[in-house]
Amino acid sequence: MKNSIKVERAKKNLTQAQLAEKVNVSRQTINAIELGKFNLSTILALKMAKVFECAVEDIFELEEADWKSK
Amino acid sequence: MKTHYLFPNQFKLLGWILFILGTVLAVLMVSLNLEPEFLDLKVFALASKPNFMGAAEYFSIHQNNMLSELVGLILIAGLVIIAFSKEKTEDEFIAKLRLESLVWATYVNYIILALSIIFIYDEVFFWVMILNMFTILLFFLLRFNWILFRTKKQMAHEE
Repeated sequence: MKNSIKVERAKKNLTQAQLAEKVNVSRQTINAIELGKFNLSTILALKMAKVFECAVEDIFELEEADWKSK
Repeated sequence: MKTHYLFPNQFKLLGWILFILGTVLAVLMVSLNLEPEFLDLKVFALASKPNFMGAAEYFSIHQNNMLSELVGLILIAGLVIIAFSKEKTEDEFIAKLRLESLVWATYVNYIILALSIIFIYDEVFFWVMILNMFTILLFFLLRFNWILFRTKKQMAHEE
């Protein structure tokens, strides 16, 4: 799954720490999600969409690899 | 995130105090062969075998020095509390790391135990069994905190 959290953060002028605080997670978690190391929960994705005032699909995008079984 | 099966974050300190106390007592007990008289007690035993060659006894009153039991319980309590106290921000990433580390620790623990079964014999194996009571939690703590530390360090680099 690709994400554009970094871009959305830049638009809203938020640091990783500030975004982390707004959605009640640790900074490591935001960092891991941005780097594609961690697939976040639906609840967290919805919270981020609220913070960025956009739809979940505007931030997260499926990739071809997501359809293959792991 | 709501997790009902972890201790509050503040308990971590208590866990460390118990663990350090238990470790110091364990080292003193083994190196000095300590058996303090006030801990020589008659206790209820579900099962015991007072003589190595004799028969096992069930539901009996057993004379025993309770220091080793006390040290074992302190160590277990300490390790369980440290391992399962919440982080300051206990979120879904930490929860995943916790699960992964627990699985990893179980594998490592039993691989080492399997190797010990093959390569270690007699009284030394008895000591392996004793250490094995604590190693799964120790491996968990090492792996979990190492990854947390590495992620934090990596973030510091990015700033």
